[in-house]
Amino acid sequence: MRFIKSILPYLGAVVIAFVVAGIFIALMGYDPLEAYATIFGTSFKTPYAFVQTILKWIPLTLLALAFTIPYATGKFNIGGEGQMIAGAIGAAAVGILLSDMPIYILLPLEIVAGILAGALWGLVPAYLLYQFRINEILTTVLFNFIAFNLIDYVATGPWRDPTAGHPTTVAVGEGGFLPNLLSTQPINAGFLITIAVAIGIYIYTNRTVGGFELIATGANPKASHVHGINTRFLSVFSLVLGAALAGLAGAIEVAGTHHRLIEGLQSNFMQLGLIIGLIAGGNSLAVPFIAFFIAVLEVGARAMQRTMQIPVEMVFIVEALLLIFILLSNVVRRRK
Amino acid sequence: MSGIEDTLTNFLKLTFLSMVPFVLAGQGTMLGGRTGVYNVAQEGMMLVGASVGFLASYLTENLFLGMLIAMVTGALFGLLLAYFTTTLKLDQFVVGLALFFAGLGISTLLPKKVIGITLSPPLIPTLQDIPIPLLSKIPVIGEIFFNQNILVYVSVLLSIALWYFLFKTNIGLQLRSVGENPKAADSLGVNVVRMRYITTILGGVFIGLAGAYLPMVYTGTFTDGMVKGRGWLAIAITFFGSFSPIPILFGSIFFAGIEVTAYKVQIGGTGIPYQFLLMLPYVMTIIIMIFTYGKARVPAFLGQNYDREKRTL
Repeated sequence: MRFIKSILPYLGAVVIAFVVAGIFIALMGYDPLEAYATIFGTSFKTPYAFVQTILKWIPLTLLALAFTIPYATGKFNIGGEGQMIAGAIGAAAVGILLSDMPIYILLPLEIVAGILAGALWGLVPAYLLYQFRINEILTTVLFNFIAFNLIDYVATGPWRDPTAGHPTTVAVGEGGFLPNLLSTQPINAGFLITIAVAIGIYIYTNRTVGGFELIATGANPKASHVHGINTRFLSVFSLVLGAALAGLAGAIEVAGTHHRLIEGLQSNFMQLGLIIGLIAGGNSLAVPFIAFFIAVLEVGARAMQRTMQIPVEMVFIVEALLLIFILLSNVVRRRK
Repeated sequence: MSGIEDTLTNFLKLTFLSMVPFVLAGQGTMLGGRTGVYNVAQEGMMLVGASVGFLASYLTENLFLGMLIAMVTGALFGLLLAYFTTTLKLDQFVVGLALFFAGLGISTLLPKKVIGITLSPPLIPTLQDIPIPLLSKIPVIGEIFFNQNILVYVSVLLSIALWYFLFKTNIGLQLRSVGENPKAADSLGVNVVRMRYITTILGGVFIGLAGAYLPMVYTGTFTDGMVKGRGWLAIAITFFGSFSPIPILFGSIFFAGIEVTAYKVQIGGTGIPYQFLLMLPYVMTIIIMIFTYGKARVPAFLGQNYDREKRTL
């Protein structure tokens, strides 16, 4: 009963957000009911669409966690996109350079390279925060723009696949492909990795002393510091851990989905990851579920563009409205 | 004129032309910050400004109307930011990010809906240079400073006016006190809430205009994500500039210089992959942050929401 009561304002906010977005869609001259039927229905109509939804869910969950873990200590990681790109570049570099290696060597190396590259990309802003107390919002964002140029360089540089029209590298070695889980659908083992990570993060933040210290740091930095928690270290650590997960997402995109580095593979995953993290209010347990919901919206929105010619960006407005109304519902709950 | 002199004149002229988005967005950020509202939605607000500014100019064939619409849209975003943070007391970063996303979505959606997908990009005429009589005839200097488009002049005059207003007038002092110690300001009869609304909305006006500058001067059309981080860089410039109008102006000139350098070297062809040149502004920002750390002065109440019923700040 208490759970229902606590979730009620959220549900109200979601409903209002869709009503407002529906009015917007109607004003643009489309049928909102048909649009919503497409948005919510597509993922569950065919096995293929469902698999596409899961493939979106993987990076969304990881990037949302890349945001919520530092957010728990009161730090904002807006650099998920750059960290994902760094991870993808790291994985692709290993996969291309060591392409002859067998799978039991190449695949783990690739994934680890992705995680490390992502962590490294987050380490620099984290260090600047630790050493110079430079605001992490700005530095993490600036590292995104550096990464955009870096991926463009790598994808058009010496590893470029000359037969591809879009900037793309050659494929990684076959030993670097994440195995498929089904013979009929292109769903890779990244799905299992992500589930394991999500559970691991939940256990870490909610069931261990280290995780408790992490959350305590965000809840009340002064009190935590007085009680001997190294709050400065923890905020840095949380940023690097988050960045490592974004790097993992990049590695899974390369090893599982594309088998190569493609410019733009990060698309909007960071923004969506942030929206998911903020809707979850930083709660890591809620992240995978909200990420699934957003993945359904994203896949549905692409179908909507094909069948109804509604620009896919429409879904961005829906998501921003969702976030804004859920923020407002927090105000409502606070006043009670 | 010799070749080198020509190149230098051209470089400086381009630098002053490119400083405008940084100056306008920086001063907009500064204004809100001076009353404690830390805006992080610049990138999204500039994108919307660029998008609606372009569309309105395209449809009405009037650039000034386009600018006006961009400013009004920026003001609307500022109003939302003020309402969510000052009235509802929601976290400023979270609200700012939400507005950033909304701006991102709206900016790409609108042109697709209004113009649709065309083979060749729809174009608007770009802003003309307005030579200042007499002054523009001075050799070299005239070409650099006094033969520019109107917004170059506006951004310099605006910076000076803001400096005068903030540091030489009584109401400017009141405004600054809101960002330093709202409780004290409140007790002396300054309307804290109204101040925060006014600065955030006015800041939105400048940020919207900063966005509209890009299609009107650089490209003549709107492309997705065309702000390319300038909104975020404007925040950095505001920080280096200690939330003061004149240092922000000089910081913007400096960043514009880096931007133009990267562009020039790229065209010149030095063998350095252009991607590394394009990284330059972002890398420089981070390096400058390290060097100015501890020296920049930030309003004491920046990023916090004022609740007059609370006992402590």
